[in-house]
Amino acid sequence: MLFEDIWKILTNGELMGYYFQGFLHTIIVTFIAVGIGLILGFAVAIIKISAGNYKFMKIPAVICNLYTTVFRGTPVALQLFIMVFAVFAIPGFKPAAAIITFGINSGAYVSENIRAGITSVDNGQMEAGRAMGLNWLQTMIRIILPQAVKNIIPAIGNEMIALLKETSIISMVGSTVGTLTFDLNFASRTAYKTVTNYLATGIIAAVFYLAVVYFMVFIIKIIERKLGSNDKRGKHI
Amino acid sequence: MINAVNIYKNFGKNEVIKGASLNIEKAERVVIIGPSGGGKSTLLRCLNLLEEVTSGEVILDGKLISPPDAYLHEDILRLSKTYKRLQKEGKSDEDIISEIRAKRLLKNGEGFAFKRALKETSAKYGQDINVARRKMGMVFQQFNLFNNMTVMQNLVYVPVKLKVLTKEEAKKKAENLLARINLSDKKDAYPSSLSGGQKQRVAIIRSLMMNPEVMLFDEPTSALDPEMVGEVLSLIKDLANEGMTMVIVTHEMGFAREVATRVLFIDGGKIAEDDVPEEIFSRPKNPRLKEFLSKVL
Repeated sequence: MLFEDIWKILTNGELMGYYFQGFLHTIIVTFIAVGIGLILGFAVAIIKISAGNYKFMKIPAVICNLYTTVFRGTPVALQLFIMVFAVFAIPGFKPAAAIITFGINSGAYVSENIRAGITSVDNGQMEAGRAMGLNWLQTMIRIILPQAVKNIIPAIGNEMIALLKETSIISMVGSTVGTLTFDLNFASRTAYKTVTNYLATGIIAAVFYLAVVYFMVFIIKIIERKLGSNDKRGKHI
Repeated sequence: MINAVNIYKNFGKNEVIKGASLNIEKAERVVIIGPSGGGKSTLLRCLNLLEEVTSGEVILDGKLISPPDAYLHEDILRLSKTYKRLQKEGKSDEDIISEIRAKRLLKNGEGFAFKRALKETSAKYGQDINVARRKMGMVFQQFNLFNNMTVMQNLVYVPVKLKVLTKEEAKKKAENLLARINLSDKKDAYPSSLSGGQKQRVAIIRSLMMNPEVMLFDEPTSALDPEMVGEVLSLIKDLANEGMTMVIVTHEMGFAREVATRVLFIDGGKIAEDDVPEEIFSRPKNPRLKEFLSKVL
């Protein structure tokens, strides 16, 4: 029965069209949100850390702390509703508002990942740079960050994977075929109207998700391996 | 060359340096000894402001590199609200100045004129700390080579970035220095593949790349295996023979005796004895120094 229904979907051009559209939209939404999250997270992490060195960064750091507290402390679904129906309640702006929400939410987590990665670099590296006459920012960019990246990448990869799956709530704010809020999850729910088997439609969506995540893990592994090249010692352990 | 005046350094409520003054002349080799926790490393790190001083001033070649310390400037003290308050009580100028200094009466909010005077002083006599640090090489206990760079990049990156040397000059100089310490074959290696002694020797020549006027050594051999101490000490001795000005914190008493022109004994955050090595090691006066030497020699 189950395999029959899966086969029915796989051979139905219209239904598979929904899936591929949803697949594409999921990737687009994730990609843009990850971009926003990385830029925002990086900026917030640098502001928080620089407050220890530059007094004028103290107030921006307080604002950044508030931001991470609020966005990590509330459910993303709630944030999505507030942003789409209150903050950015502009006609036709719904998908953009949703993507921005995912980006801002992700930025809060990414900033903590980056901050942790930076603080895990031995303080002696900063001291050595400063003692030679580099200023804080020069040392941070050329000495600390390249070493921190190695610690940051696995955590960021994790966050990207979580974000990809989190975007499946985007259709909660309403969706129709052709708009960006028509994602993989909504494609599966649309296919249900024809097949009336949640397990079958869900399994196909799951396979799509799994395929993207597998591909992402593959890319992250390659990056990690490349970054590890100047630190070969102890790799066999 | 380096002049540290009445340095105090607190970590929270913990007073580590309690009023140390120190004047280092060109070509002097000052070795700092003393019991652990006495403030040796902290004092050294105050000289290039890796530790911000709580009060007191650090002066390099006649230029102020720490923030100005109001207690050291009578004319600034006279602008403070505390001074004016005491003046109203009818005390004499001399009494007020000495009272403020002795009881360290200054608080936050001594008034606009006072603040402006401090700012003007640092503008007039001050030098940017990042510029000043180029003249002071620093060697750390834990080497602190840049782990993301090869040996060659470690040597050339900062002097080229700060335009102390051109790319070609830096490369040539780095090659000469590497040849001098017999590590030419390691120039493309990363620090993680070097031994402790090799790392420390590279760290020393990295400081030399900046053509420093003075070198600060913070326990340069304390993190090394015993068989590697010799190679690092002999490089430092070579530099000493070339007339480099040095301040060295160390536990190697034999080395201190051999290389120093002057030895400071630091105990409890103060400079307890300051003399030539023969006097310090053969005829110590301070009872704490006698006790210390009987333990380590």
